[in-house]
Amino acid sequence: MKPPSIAKKNTSMLKYPVILLLFFLTLQSIPVQAGQPIALKTEQLKNDSSKLQLRHFDTLKIDTYRQQPDFRYDQTIPVDDSLWNKFWAWFWRQFSGIATANYSGSMFRYIIIAVFIALIVFVVMKFTGVDFNIFTGKSKTIAVPYVAASDNIHEIDFNTEIDKAILTSNYRMAVRLMYLRSLKKLNNSNLINWQPEKTNQTYIKELTDPYQREQFSLLTTQFEYIWYGEFFIDQENFKEVKNSYDQFNTGIR
Amino acid sequence: MEAETSNQRTDLTQLNLAVEQIRESIGHIIVGQKDTIEFLIAGILADGHLLLEGVPGVAKTLSAKLIAKSINAVFSRIQFTPDLMPSDVLGTSVFDPRTASFAYRKGPVFGNIILIDEINRAPAKTQSALFEVMEERQITVDGQTYPMDEPFMVLATQNPVEHEGTYRLPEAQLDRFLFKIEIQYPTLEEEIIILSRQHQHKLENELKEIKPVLSIDQIKTCRTMIKALHVEPKLIEYAAKIVHETRNNKSLYLGASPRASLALINGAKAIAAMQGRDFVTPEDIIKVAAPVLAHRIMLSPDKEMEGLTTADIVAQIIQKIEIPR
Repeated sequence: MKPPSIAKKNTSMLKYPVILLLFFLTLQSIPVQAGQPIALKTEQLKNDSSKLQLRHFDTLKIDTYRQQPDFRYDQTIPVDDSLWNKFWAWFWRQFSGIATANYSGSMFRYIIIAVFIALIVFVVMKFTGVDFNIFTGKSKTIAVPYVAASDNIHEIDFNTEIDKAILTSNYRMAVRLMYLRSLKKLNNSNLINWQPEKTNQTYIKELTDPYQREQFSLLTTQFEYIWYGEFFIDQENFKEVKNSYDQFNTGIR
Repeated sequence: MEAETSNQRTDLTQLNLAVEQIRESIGHIIVGQKDTIEFLIAGILADGHLLLEGVPGVAKTLSAKLIAKSINAVFSRIQFTPDLMPSDVLGTSVFDPRTASFAYRKGPVFGNIILIDEINRAPAKTQSALFEVMEERQITVDGQTYPMDEPFMVLATQNPVEHEGTYRLPEAQLDRFLFKIEIQYPTLEEEIIILSRQHQHKLENELKEIKPVLSIDQIKTCRTMIKALHVEPKLIEYAAKIVHETRNNKSLYLGASPRASLALINGAKAIAAMQGRDFVTPEDIIKVAAPVLAHRIMLSPDKEMEGLTTADIVAQIIQKIEIPR
């Protein structure tokens, strides 16, 4: 609330513009009041007696136009008659019907539109590959395409393949297969959880029995030297390696 | 093909002895930071430039100085500041009135081990001056090319980009660093040891006692050995798959370059040699993957907002690619 003295001052300040405005308005009306009377010029209207010819719409032509798709404004007909276009024309007609029908209240219409927009957003996001978890902020896992395994340990017939490798004196391959067989046996006994992307050291750590871990660690070193290091292995050396594997495999229950 | 085996082995005894000596001399002063020391040594052996990143006061410069001190080579230090000019680093042509001609005066970049402290405090203009010298080991000034002496290595330190007064290094320059080594805070136990040593004035004496343990020739020999290390073709494929995945990963805006693939193999070779093996295993590649790739790739804006790091993505990529065995 303003004090009465200030309010009074404000009112008196407003007085001058109002007076000025009234003065200008008065000036506008002065010429009308002070001017001479305007002489009105009158003219007699003439009667039009010419004969009118009534014209009627050609109903036949109108019907012809009605048949033409270009003049059917109530519905859009696809340019060509492909099934795809017919489907969409039908879809939009249905959608338009739902959205504008009298029985559908405004709330229902908005829900339908919202669902439809959400559907479009979903499809766009799906196609562009946007991570849906960006809305939840929990996205810590990223879908990296899985690189197909070159060898599935569950599908290899180890005994046959190892025999084949020994027959061809491919001892390096035989050691590799024996190592994979041991991994399979450990996995089948639930001692390790086989995953192709796990390292050999991870499997060693997964083994809880210290003796088994030590043995497997030795086999892993052998395997790494022979397979990754391409260390030379002859028949004599292979026999020793094979014995170690056989001994280890017997211990797996 | 599978039956072929390699009988040409590399004797790594000398190398392992040298590595052990460096580990010991640095380990006396730097408390903890085992991985940092390992990657510093691996970087030297793999003939690469190293970038050390960490918050102020975590012994980045000290680590770099120690590693430089352990090698008997020409050491040079450049403190990067916002007003540093390329000519301050590379050198400049100075007019000699006696001969009435310009003579090139070499800059501090001429040396064997160059410590660039706070590298990301200089603007992009100065950073660009390092492109040629880091990749081609030469400098071209006024049409004249000056080759660097062997070995040539840049050891750079920097604060994280979010820190005041720092610039992000250009991608082209980051790509020239073999490893980016992130130095973390010490643990409570390690901090107690640091304080105790400082309190007993042990640190000052130990710093003075550091003596070079490797000569330039030894470094050259070690590098030749490492180049000769065996890498199984499936492991080369594995390294290539990791790098290739960075280029197709939706979480990444920028993938790693072919130079990164080479760095991955070279770094893995150095790690293998340090463990006494003359061949690389998948573990070696995995060990160097984050230091090699994390600074070379860029996150997409949405993943950056989620708080992920490039190292997280590298780890996720590794977890999805099958180990060749």
